[in-house]
Amino acid sequence: MKKWVEIFLGILTAMGGFVEVGELVFSVNAGAKFRFSLLWVSLVGTVGIIVYCEMAGRIAAVKEQPVFNLIRERAGLDAGLLTLVAATAVNLLTCTAEIGGIAIVWQLLSGWPYRWLIVVAFVFLLLTVWVLEFEWIERVFGLFGLLMCVFLVAAVYLRPDWGQVAAGFVPRVPHLESTSEYYLFAYFVVALLSSIMLPYETYFYASGVIEDGWNPSDINLNRIICVVGMTLGSVLGVALVILGTQVFQPRHIEPELPGAAALGPAMLFGKVGLIAAILGMFFAFAGAAIETALTNAYNLAQFLGWPWGKFRPARDAARFTLAWAATFALSALVIITGVDPVSVVEYSIVFSVVILPFTYFPLLVIAADKDVMGEHANGWLANALGWFYLVVITLAALAAIPLLIITHGGQG
Amino acid sequence: MREFLDVVRSVLDHEVVDSNEMPCGMVDDIEVEGGAGGELRVTALLVGAGAWADRLPRPFGAAAKLIFGRQRTRVPWGEVSVITERIKLRSRASELGLGGADRKASRLIGRLPGA
Repeated sequence: MKKWVEIFLGILTAMGGFVEVGELVFSVNAGAKFRFSLLWVSLVGTVGIIVYCEMAGRIAAVKEQPVFNLIRERAGLDAGLLTLVAATAVNLLTCTAEIGGIAIVWQLLSGWPYRWLIVVAFVFLLLTVWVLEFEWIERVFGLFGLLMCVFLVAAVYLRPDWGQVAAGFVPRVPHLESTSEYYLFAYFVVALLSSIMLPYETYFYASGVIEDGWNPSDINLNRIICVVGMTLGSVLGVALVILGTQVFQPRHIEPELPGAAALGPAMLFGKVGLIAAILGMFFAFAGAAIETALTNAYNLAQFLGWPWGKFRPARDAARFTLAWAATFALSALVIITGVDPVSVVEYSIVFSVVILPFTYFPLLVIAADKDVMGEHANGWLANALGWFYLVVITLAALAAIPLLIITHGGQG
Repeated sequence: MREFLDVVRSVLDHEVVDSNEMPCGMVDDIEVEGGAGGELRVTALLVGAGAWADRLPRPFGAAAKLIFGRQRTRVPWGEVSVITERIKLRSRASELGLGGADRKASRLIGRLPGA
């Protein structure tokens, strides 16, 4: 019985924690600009994140040892440090984007000044991680993030042409008017893929496996939660694309700000829809901010051999605690200077994909290594998918910055 | 019979835990005794940013020391009790001069409620 509850909660939290600010912005915009023709990217990205989270979780469960620890052991100091520095910088950027997203979304509801809301968000995040145990952080933000399901309900209510939606899952490039439109399409392919496969997700997931005390007997639990939870989570992403298509595309609105997505549920369900959408976004962004900050602390501590984990009292993992607090503080400082939060979201997504190969490659090598993983090493399917996605993200990483420049940051 | 251990694979860059299983750093470098042609023997583990920073190309090493400090603690090889994925020591971290930065940080945040 306990196992079933664990599976059920694991699936729901994986689903509720799937979407963050970057994915929200790019999904809605993908629909507004290209209708359903980018839906196949959601599919490709979702299978990719499932493949790599499953590997990361399996490594942590089998070795009962954190992933960054193993990266340093197996990839060596130099390569490990490169991965650490790249991941830390991008996590910081992602955390900044999430805090900006929280402030924007609350502004819609409260009308308070943006900068004060950043301070409130910072204090809220700091206190939440300080007070709540790991299990409760996962549950509170994962389960309340499920308020995002209001977007799913809205997507169904908007009565899209389901035939066209289905056709969107077949990989293809639509017929567009100009070369710059094709570049913009390519930029969205890369960005949407990146927003689904963000690097912090795998590391956070693997450290969570250790926080929750999983061992080799949990590898099936790991597999089920990854596959089912993330597939359901990706349905929310698909709903956002449909929303973008049905609400914004006919009106030629470019829904730049993350809060714009709330317009769909608000139009359909009035105040209740608006509040559910805003709270859902708040919990989704705050959950992602917490995950990125904790991931930075996990990575640093595991690479440098500090005591770590929310399972220890803060005084017994002091530098770990300072590391996540510092990530929140730095992120809040960056966003409070008045940098454009939408640009931060954009850069966080583009730079994430640039470093993605560095963060995924060591995972693949370790998960495939029979010396390390024994009988739980990758089978042929995990290896084939792992290498396929490594090629895909490497191509995306190479294309990301040129496309960012050519399209003037997605402006076309 | 003489025993050999691949120290680079099985010891270097592995996590170090003290006798209470508390993480207290990584094997950041290894001190060996002996010279060319002679027998090499591991005499100590070196732990701390000062040790791993010296293994990086120079400008990166200098930057690492600036950020993480120059601390380098020598742990005699005789202190090693068990070698698995982790290197377990016979004594407590504080007795070996390890984990000092964490104790300092702990004093800083230990006063806060709920720490």
